[in-house]
Amino acid sequence: MPALLIGDPALPLDEAGKYVAGAYIVFVVLLVVYVAIMAIKLQRIERELRDLAGFAEQGSPGTPGQGSPGTPGREAEDVPTIEEGEAVPGRGSEDQSISVSSGPSASGGGGV
Amino acid sequence: MYGKGLKPLSIATVVALAAGLSLVFFYAPNDADQGFIQKIFYLHVPLAMVSLVGFIVGGIFAILHLRSGDSRWDAYSYVSIHMSVIFGVGVLITGSIWAKASWGHWWVWDEPTLVSYLIVFLLYATYYPFRYAIEDRDRQARYASVFAITAGAFVPLNFIAVRLAESLVHPRVFATTGGGLPGSMMLTFLVCLTAMALLWVTLVKLELTAKSASGQVKRLRRALDAPPAGTRSRVAPEVS
Repeated sequence: MPALLIGDPALPLDEAGKYVAGAYIVFVVLLVVYVAIMAIKLQRIERELRDLAGFAEQGSPGTPGQGSPGTPGREAEDVPTIEEGEAVPGRGSEDQSISVSSGPSASGGGGV
Repeated sequence: MYGKGLKPLSIATVVALAAGLSLVFFYAPNDADQGFIQKIFYLHVPLAMVSLVGFIVGGIFAILHLRSGDSRWDAYSYVSIHMSVIFGVGVLITGSIWAKASWGHWWVWDEPTLVSYLIVFLLYATYYPFRYAIEDRDRQARYASVFAITAGAFVPLNFIAVRLAESLVHPRVFATTGGGLPGSMMLTFLVCLTAMALLWVTLVKLELTAKSASGQVKRLRRALDAPPAGTRSRVAPEVS
């Protein structure tokens, strides 16, 4: 591989190299940051699922609004989510979620 | 549901990206005019094209939302725009690096292509505060859809306007006369464009899957917190 890199005329080690490397590194960094954010989100979902599984197994659901000890006020941090089912009134930037229902929305849809 | 097909799509994206990068650095020749710097073209231009098409796709999803009232289309529209904005950040940064290397400046204000893309990007950057300034969720979705349609229509108009403007700074490499890419460069470009489009689709699908999972968790939490059987459930029926 190093011999290929040195021998290939498409990879000159001049001034241009650092700009090209910079551009591709920016792309990779953007991608890695995005994937890291998604990983954090998925970890949170997994933790909440574990808590809910615990509740379900105990047969004693948690108090509404309190959540489990490990996830106090979690819903306020979900930005934004797809909620299937009940169309909960939006709370602005506090709970920025996109509700999803199988049929037309309560407002009738189809028009503005 | 959203996660269906995500694994093969991810594999296809990785393969396409690897193939694209291999072609860029080991197959495509150096540009006669710009030399090695031109390699940024294979990253910058596909990113720009995919992001612009993504904005238009967001508008199409918004039309479907307004026509059907199904808020699932609103979610598609939101995620499409969101992903295109992220790609747009990549376009602006890689474009600036290319401009610095080629023209000696990070940004050239009298270049219509650059400024028009910045206008489109800034327009879509206002989508988030616009959307979340509205409290009522149905109204939020409807207004966001109107925004997505209007801005989506602006994208091709903007593109045509820029094409009509004469500029000697930004080359027209896909022109039918007096320009064009040679075969090896065109092949490399097309592979990179395909890879970038696949990446966009994969990330949109991933984002939708994560949001859907988060929504399901909330729904489950509400179900566990729900009053005993016999009273009216707060949770709507399962979406088929």
